[in-house]
Amino acid sequence: MRNRFIVFVLAVFFVTCLAWPQDLVLKGGTILTITNGTIENGTIVIKGGKIAGVGKDIPIPAGIRVIDVTGKYVMPGIIDSHSHIALTDVNEATDPVTPQIWMREALEPSSDSIKKTLAGGVTMVKTMHGSANIIGGVNVTVKLKYRDQIENMIVLDTRQQLKMALGENPKRLYGSKGRIPSTRMGNAYVMRNAFVKAKEYKEKWDRYEKEKAKGKKDLDPPEKDLKMETLKMVLEKKLGIDCHVYRADEIVWVINFCKEWGIDLLQLSHCIDGYKVPDIIAEAGICYGGWIDWWGFKEEAYDGCPYGFEIMHKAGVRIVINSDSADECRYLYLNAAKVLKYNDIPEEEVLKMITLNPAYAIEMEHRAGSIEKGKDGDIAVFDKYPLDSTSKCLMTIIEGKVCFDYAKESVTVKGGGYE
Amino acid sequence: MNRKKIILLAAVLFFLYPAFSHSSQQILIKNGTVIPVEGAHIQKADILIEAGKIVKIGRDLETSPSAHIIDASGRYVYPGMVALMTAVGVTGYPGAGNDLDESGVSTPQMDPFDAINPEDPCIAVTRLGGVTTVMTISGTRSPINGKSVIMNLEGRLAQDLVIKRYAAQIFNMGAKSDGKYPSTLPGVVSLIEEKLNKAKQYVQKKEGIGGDDKGEEGKENESSRFRIDLEMEALLPVIKGEVPALFITNDEVTIRNALKIIDQFDLRGVIKASKGILKYAELLGEKKIPVIWGGTTGIPGRWEPFDLNYHTAAVLAEKGVLFTFDSGGWGPESRNVRNLPVPASLSVAYGLDEEQALRALTINPAKIIGMDDELGSIEQGKTANLVIWSGSPIQMSSRICQVIINGKVIPMESIQTRLRDQYKE
Repeated sequence: MRNRFIVFVLAVFFVTCLAWPQDLVLKGGTILTITNGTIENGTIVIKGGKIAGVGKDIPIPAGIRVIDVTGKYVMPGIIDSHSHIALTDVNEATDPVTPQIWMREALEPSSDSIKKTLAGGVTMVKTMHGSANIIGGVNVTVKLKYRDQIENMIVLDTRQQLKMALGENPKRLYGSKGRIPSTRMGNAYVMRNAFVKAKEYKEKWDRYEKEKAKGKKDLDPPEKDLKMETLKMVLEKKLGIDCHVYRADEIVWVINFCKEWGIDLLQLSHCIDGYKVPDIIAEAGICYGGWIDWWGFKEEAYDGCPYGFEIMHKAGVRIVINSDSADECRYLYLNAAKVLKYNDIPEEEVLKMITLNPAYAIEMEHRAGSIEKGKDGDIAVFDKYPLDSTSKCLMTIIEGKVCFDYAKESVTVKGGGYE
Repeated sequence: MNRKKIILLAAVLFFLYPAFSHSSQQILIKNGTVIPVEGAHIQKADILIEAGKIVKIGRDLETSPSAHIIDASGRYVYPGMVALMTAVGVTGYPGAGNDLDESGVSTPQMDPFDAINPEDPCIAVTRLGGVTTVMTISGTRSPINGKSVIMNLEGRLAQDLVIKRYAAQIFNMGAKSDGKYPSTLPGVVSLIEEKLNKAKQYVQKKEGIGGDDKGEEGKENESSRFRIDLEMEALLPVIKGEVPALFITNDEVTIRNALKIIDQFDLRGVIKASKGILKYAELLGEKKIPVIWGGTTGIPGRWEPFDLNYHTAAVLAEKGVLFTFDSGGWGPESRNVRNLPVPASLSVAYGLDEEQALRALTINPAKIIGMDDELGSIEQGKTANLVIWSGSPIQMSSRICQVIINGKVIPMESIQTRLRDQYKE
C-alpha cells in the first residue's frame, strides 16, 4: 500500500513537472497580438496552458514562474500549414489513390527536425503526405512537443486534412511507369473516379445503417474498404482537403471539383499561379498556401511571381506562407519580411501570414495564431522586431512550457563550438 | 578628301555612334547615402559615371548638361552583389533541360561560354535582386567539371555579358559515381591527382617544343611528338596556378583531401563548403585559401547546436578567412540567386558583423575571382555596377530601386514584373 502511494506521488510529480500544460508569465515585452495591435511593456499570463490575460496592467498571480522579456518582442507561435518534418516516410508513391494512408503513423516525436524547427519560433505544423499521388494520405496537425506522446502532439479538436495533388508530379511519376495518370486529363479522371466510388460506398453503408437503426435483423454489413472509409469521411466533412496545385487552370478546376462534390477544400498548396485567379480563390474562401519567391524549378512553377501577394491581398485572399522545407521552416519570419520587398501590404497583415492565417488554414484560429485571452499559450519571443532580418528567436513556448531557450542551446552564446 | 572617303567616314561614324553614345553619356547618382564597402559611408554623396566606369565620388559634383541624373535622396547606394556558383545563363527553360553537367568523370574543357543564353529570363530576375555580377559554372556532378565564366548581367550577346572567360576550374570531391569508377572518395582523389599529374607532364611537353628537345638528330619521334589535348589544355592554366581550382566539398573529410591536393600541386585553391569547415577555419585563414560558404541554411546534425551553421560565418570572419556566401544552398540550378543576402542576414543575427556580411556579398567574391580591381566596391575607376536600395541589402524588406550595370541604367523589368503588370487589374 505504502509503495503504491509513493509510486502515485512520484507519478504525479513527474506528470506535473514535465508535461503540458503549464503556467507561465511573460513580463515586459512588446507584444504583437496580431488581432489587437501592439502592446508595449505588456504582460502575458498563461494558466493551464491557456492565455489567461494579456495587457499592460495584468496582475501577476503568485507562485507562477515569471520570465522577464523587457525589450524583447513577443508574438504568437509561428505556424506552418505545409510541412513534411518529423515524419519517417512521406510518399506512398505506389498507387495514385492512397487515402488509406494516415501520416500520424509515420510521426516521429523524437525527430531532430522538431528541435531544429522550434528554434525558429514555430509551435505548430501540419506535416503532410507528399505530392506523388492524386489522392495521397491524411496529414497530421501537431504541436511541436518534442519527445512527447503522439497522442499529446496531435491536435485533436481540429479536422485533419487529406492531401491531394494535381499537375506534373503524379503525371510524371505514373506516366513514367506507363500507368494512368500521365496527363492532366488522367489526373482529373483518377480524382473523379475515386469520389464516384466513395459515393457508392457511402450510400451502401448509409443504407445499411438506416436499416439497422430501424431494428432490422440478419443484416450483412457491407465490406469495409479502408480507402473508401477515408473518402467517406471527406464526403461527410469529417476531414478537410489540402490540394497541391500550381497552374491557374487547375486551381479553378479543383475549386469547382470540390464544390461539385460538397467537400471542404481548406488550402491550395504551392499555388504558384494564385495571383492569376485571386477573385476565384477569394470568393471560394480558400487559403492560398505558398512561397514568396520560389519560381522556375519546374515548368508549372515558371510563372512564380513574388509581386503576386499584393494582387491576392487586394482581392481578399487569405495568404499563408508555407515552408514545404525543413530548412526554411526555421526562418519563416525572414520569408515574411521578403513579402515587403515586393509588395505594398501592411506589416500587421504580413505577420498574419505566418500566424493567424495558417491557424485558419488548419481550422485552429479559435486556439492559435494570435495572443488573446482563452487561446493556447503558444508564444515566440524574438530579440528584435521579427520582420527585422537580423532578429532571432530567443524562446519558443508551447502551452506555457518553454520548449526552446536560445540561452541554453545556442553555440553563438558560447562564442564558438568549433573546438 | 574625295566623296568616297567622306561617305566611308560617315558610314564608319554611323556604325560607331551607338558604341560612343552610351559611353559618353554621363550618369550622376545624386544625394544618396553611399556605402562604398571599401571606406566609410558618405552621406548625401554623388557618384559620377562615365564610359561605364565610376569617375568620381563626392559632394555636389558637376556634370555636362546632357547628363542623366538619378535622384537617390533618402536611398542607399551599394555596389552590386557578386554571386559565385550560379547557373545564370545556362539554366534553360523548364522542360527543355539545362546545360549543366556534361557526361564523363573528367570534362575540364567544358566551357559555359559556349552555352550562355543571353535571353535566359533568370538574368533579369537576378539583377533586379541587386546581383550585378555572377560566376556561372559548367556543372558539379563530376570530379572534374569544367570552366566557369564571370558575367556582368547586362549585354545583348554572350560576349557582351562575359567579362572573364576562365575564372575557375570546378572540382567536386563528393562526385562519386554509382557503380563505376570512381565510386569512392579515394577514387575521386586519385582520379583528380592522376589528371593533374598528366597536366603537369603535358605542360612540360608543350613548353619543351621550340627548345632543343627534339632528339640527337633533330628529328621528332612519334612518342615525343606534341599533340593538342583539349582536356589537358583546360587543366594547363590550373596547374600553372593562373586559374583558381575551386573544390566543392561536402564534409570535413572532403575538405581535408581538397586541401591536400591544393598543397601537393601548389594550386590557387578555393574551397566551397557546406559542412565541417570550422575545424579548418584557422588553417584557411593562415594559408589564405578563400571559402565559398554554402552551409548557412543547412540544418546541423542531430548532435550539433541548432545555430552552428548560422554562426559559422562569424567564426570565418574572426579567423581572417576570405569568404563569400552561396546563393541559397540549393546549388547552381537554383534560379533564386537573388536570395544571396539570406545567409548573410542569418549570419548577422547569429554573430557576424554587419560590415563583414556586406563585404562577403561584394568585395570578397570579387577578390576570390581576382577581379577586385574592377568589381565589388564603389571606388573611382571601377566598373559602374551599382544598386540603389531603400535600405540595407541584408534586410529582406529592403527594395531595389534602381540597378546600374556597366554604367547603364537597367530597366527594372523581368518576367515577373511583366506577369505582375499583366495580372494587376
